[in-house]
Amino acid sequence: MVQLVGPLRKELADSVSSCRVLVVGAGGIGCELLKNLVLTGFRNIEVIDLDTIDVSNLNRQFLFQKKHVGKSKAQVAKESVVQFCPKANITAYHDSIMNPDYSVEFFRNFALVMNALDNRAARNHVNRMCLAADIPLIESGTAGYLGQVTIIKKGLTECYECQPKPTQKTFPGCTIRNTPSEPIHCIVWAKYLFNQLFGEEDADQEVSPDTADPEAAWDPSEAAARATASEQDGDIKRVSTKDWARSTGYDPVKLFNKVHYTNSLFKDDIMYLLTMDKLWRKRKAPLPLEWSELQKQEEMLGGGLKDQHVLGVYGYSQLFSESVKTLSSQLAERGAGAELVWDKDDPPAMDFVTAAANLRMHVFSMNMKSRFDIKSMAGNIIPAIATTNAVIAGLIVLEALKVLSGDLDQCCTIFLNKQPNPKKKLLVPCALDPPNLNCYVCASKPEVTVRLNVSSTMIQTLQDKILKERFGMVAPDVQIEDGKGTILISSEEGETEGNNSKFLSDFGIRNGSRLQADDFLQDYTLLVNVLHSDELGKDMEFEVVGDAPDKAPTPSTQEEGKNITNGNKDSAQPSTSSTVPTDQDDVLIVDSDEEPSSSSDCGALKRKLLDAETGEAPAKRQRLSQQQHADNEDDDDLIALD
Amino acid sequence: GMAANKAAKEQKYDRQLRLWGDHGQEALENAHVCLVNATATGTEILKNLVLPGIGAFTIVDGHKVSGEDVGNNFFLSTNSIGKNRAQAATELLQELNSDVSGNFVEEVRAAGSTCLRLGAVLWNAEVPFLVCRTYGLVGCMRLVVREHTVVESHPDNALEDLRLDQPFTELKNHIDSYDLDSMEKKDHSHTPWIIIVAKFLEKWYSEHNFQMPKNYKEKEAFRELLRQGILKNENGAPEDEENFDEAIKNVNTALNATKISSTVEDIFSCDLCDNITAQTPAFWVMARAVRDFVRDDGNGILPVRGTIPDMIADSEKFIKLQNVYREKALQDASVVSKHVESLLQSVGKVCPPGYLLIMKFFKCVFIISGKNAAFLRVVRCRSLEEEYSIESVNKDEITSCMDNPDSEMVLYLMLRSIDRFYQQHSHYPGVYDYQVEEDISRLKVCVNSLLQEYGLSVSVKDDYIHEFCRCGSAEPHTVAAFLGGCAAQEAIKIITQQFVPFNNTFIYNAMTQTSATFQL
Repeated sequence: MVQLVGPLRKELADSVSSCRVLVVGAGGIGCELLKNLVLTGFRNIEVIDLDTIDVSNLNRQFLFQKKHVGKSKAQVAKESVVQFCPKANITAYHDSIMNPDYSVEFFRNFALVMNALDNRAARNHVNRMCLAADIPLIESGTAGYLGQVTIIKKGLTECYECQPKPTQKTFPGCTIRNTPSEPIHCIVWAKYLFNQLFGEEDADQEVSPDTADPEAAWDPSEAAARATASEQDGDIKRVSTKDWARSTGYDPVKLFNKVHYTNSLFKDDIMYLLTMDKLWRKRKAPLPLEWSELQKQEEMLGGGLKDQHVLGVYGYSQLFSESVKTLSSQLAERGAGAELVWDKDDPPAMDFVTAAANLRMHVFSMNMKSRFDIKSMAGNIIPAIATTNAVIAGLIVLEALKVLSGDLDQCCTIFLNKQPNPKKKLLVPCALDPPNLNCYVCASKPEVTVRLNVSSTMIQTLQDKILKERFGMVAPDVQIEDGKGTILISSEEGETEGNNSKFLSDFGIRNGSRLQADDFLQDYTLLVNVLHSDELGKDMEFEVVGDAPDKAPTPSTQEEGKNITNGNKDSAQPSTSSTVPTDQDDVLIVDSDEEPSSSSDCGALKRKLLDAETGEAPAKRQRLSQQQHADNEDDDDLIALD
Repeated sequence: GMAANKAAKEQKYDRQLRLWGDHGQEALENAHVCLVNATATGTEILKNLVLPGIGAFTIVDGHKVSGEDVGNNFFLSTNSIGKNRAQAATELLQELNSDVSGNFVEEVRAAGSTCLRLGAVLWNAEVPFLVCRTYGLVGCMRLVVREHTVVESHPDNALEDLRLDQPFTELKNHIDSYDLDSMEKKDHSHTPWIIIVAKFLEKWYSEHNFQMPKNYKEKEAFRELLRQGILKNENGAPEDEENFDEAIKNVNTALNATKISSTVEDIFSCDLCDNITAQTPAFWVMARAVRDFVRDDGNGILPVRGTIPDMIADSEKFIKLQNVYREKALQDASVVSKHVESLLQSVGKVCPPGYLLIMKFFKCVFIISGKNAAFLRVVRCRSLEEEYSIESVNKDEITSCMDNPDSEMVLYLMLRSIDRFYQQHSHYPGVYDYQVEEDISRLKVCVNSLLQEYGLSVSVKDDYIHEFCRCGSAEPHTVAAFLGGCAAQEAIKIITQQFVPFNNTFIYNAMTQTSATFQL
């Protein structure tokens, strides 16, 4: 390693200047990384990013300027770097790395791949592509002041998917529709409502009361009667939310409380919920709001930024009304059939969610939140600054040099702390772990067992929710290992669409059946063992056996920890979740003055500390477990390696 | 206009406002930093300060841009070769953020002892000084600040300030307004856990001679008492009362004794707190005012922080409880402000020339006494002179670290030896291929003379001497980028008075990806 320094050891210097490397992502880490690579002597660099530049990137993504807002990140990053270092030969792709054009063959062009990504789906995918191509991969991520870097090499180290990661927290439909108990439930509801009113309507994103809530538990005959009644309504009254809203001309007052039992948000829907009296025996019942009764109150304004104020109910009803007007005129301008896409950085869209979520919080007796806080939760915002990205990108290149000089044994996973821990370490390097032999991705014959109900699980669910979403496949082909090789799903268009709405049992799949799922692009085959069960948990469609991720990790009490939420912009699932309050029961507080270590306790995570000074046993790491499930919408995500 | 500008900034800085708040941002925007020498490490540091919106920077550098500079410094380009380095770097750094004012001073090349001399000047002027250096695969930072006061230290596990062990009158009255026994079920299960704990604490007192549950066993017994308080259904089984679950979970937090931490006590017992003069910095006037509050008005405890955690409760009950704490905090804060006023009056600072300064001052008072009194920190670094003087060198720290011959401390000793080498030979060891072997023995002499001069009975492995000679003095960009990130972060801590900066030396080893901090 020593010889790396300037002049680099001859052979290493040669391989640095001649090798071809791929940078996946041109965001916070990506910008820093491109700069470090060219100034370390890398000459052949390809960079891919599907994103465009946003104003909120400018506080750290230094290759971009105000005039670049809206342009391709990859392209502008390339141009900026080449302007400074004309010798660099950079190829930019404004595209998704999950596009089938980037095949295993494409990945084989590179000596090394470096991820600077922001979401788990893409990380999973690049992990598989690098395993399939047998190319070393450097993974990295940051969140606020924290960061980490690690190396993945087929057969030698854990892959990105070797350790189960806490699955994204999703919320049962009836919690969102009937019984919200946390602000996040109201925020998810408000985002659904946005889509229902202005965006792409999605049957999984209903916002009106759910009459089939099992907890409401009417006696069966009554339930049946209600169901029938609501079906009958369907023909006459139950037009889609969007159609209805359009028919009212997006009149905010009507949206707010006009008598139309399926669609009035803060009054009639709530009154309807109140009739489901079983729900409210143990809960505080919601209080319907009446538009005309809202009075303008003096809003208390403190110092600080406007976004950080919490308005009153009247204030939010006004904001609701204004944002509905703005959004509906935007929708109208775009002509028939147009849809709006919710974006946290689009002011009226953010105003709408702030107002609707707060009004619902008020109805359900929760304390309302500021626009600033709601934006964090609704947009899965992870705070980000230049300094952490600079540190992490510096570490990545040093690890890259070790990989290129063949010193993989000297590589490590490095964690960056917020401040030096009690052992005075800002950086904590840990030995790389060997592959998990039971990993469903990098094992020699990957296999999983999935518990589901064969007679109520559709092929569509198998494809979308199980194989794509849960197991990260992009375009699966599935055949049944029934001796005949029955094809269940084909990735070729038009071949098996007819199967989509059939159930697994329609194809003779039962307890003990085995399915072979192939992803041609990822060069990945997964054997799925089916375990039939009639009794799955509420709102659970399937369960992976032996892979129940650890209980929700304890979040930190530190400020930035609070805002870190789950979510994934590529996912169809609600991309929001809340953190669980710290259970202080097991925390023994010695003295409030002790600056507690960030690597203090609580981890179910084992890591070998390469700490020559202490020679200490596994350091349990709290801070990463706090945030390892954080896939954010930003560019510099902390990765979930543990 | 102003409002539009503010909104644009809010958008641009959104991701970092979530870390240090708008007051942190304001401090950053009012700060002016000076960079001496636009090396790769230097411009990387500035880049990381310009992006988040530092108010202004000034680069002082008398060097001309060389080809080597362009090779490792992103903010110097080929067509700037031969130009003044301060000017060239200022132009490119300025492009990163139009809200920042970039300035430069073309200064003649600095001599070897500049750092120590500059250190002395800044020490006397009480300007924080951060010395950063990338040498081969080693990064080093030294913070030199006589006294740095931290208003928001952001401890990871800050305890709530609930005062349940010593409820103030208004809280006591509020607790008394509840009667859990005569409550309807719905109200019972929507009573904030703070009230529940307070109520059961009264019960506990009556049975335990007015002593709080102290040890684990007693706390367990108290939890059991809470459990028994959960309403029962018609069959005698406990109902599902989440607020009680929360109360049980929070027993440790809730029963934490209200006391002043030793760190804050130390601040109170400082001379600066005793002798307020017209020159006393605002932090110390405020610290003294808080101390006066503690002694005169607070019965020995700090002003109430005024915030409570989120909890299961209906809005009305929660807001009422929140207001009890908040109003008490405001009340305490106004008492503290009065102390500030009279302290200032006593030193004749009734109407000082800087009216704005005073406004800021009072805003600060509010922040401190309302929320952060418990989080005050003072960091005092040793001066460079103390570090370098044979009489005051911190031998203990060096020798105890060197018990492990591979401690990062060895890199510190090597850097000091390298400087000695440069003074004697006017070049860095190993820069000329033809005299590497010669430099190895010369460097060895420097190491030994350093150790001898300071009376350090430690040994430095030959490996390190060889390595430093082979490495040369290069400043690899990626190491500079790493250090630039770390250094800018420390600068932001100092400027925003948030988070506790390291004290006082940070060493990074890029070979092993390890780091350590030492007090030198």
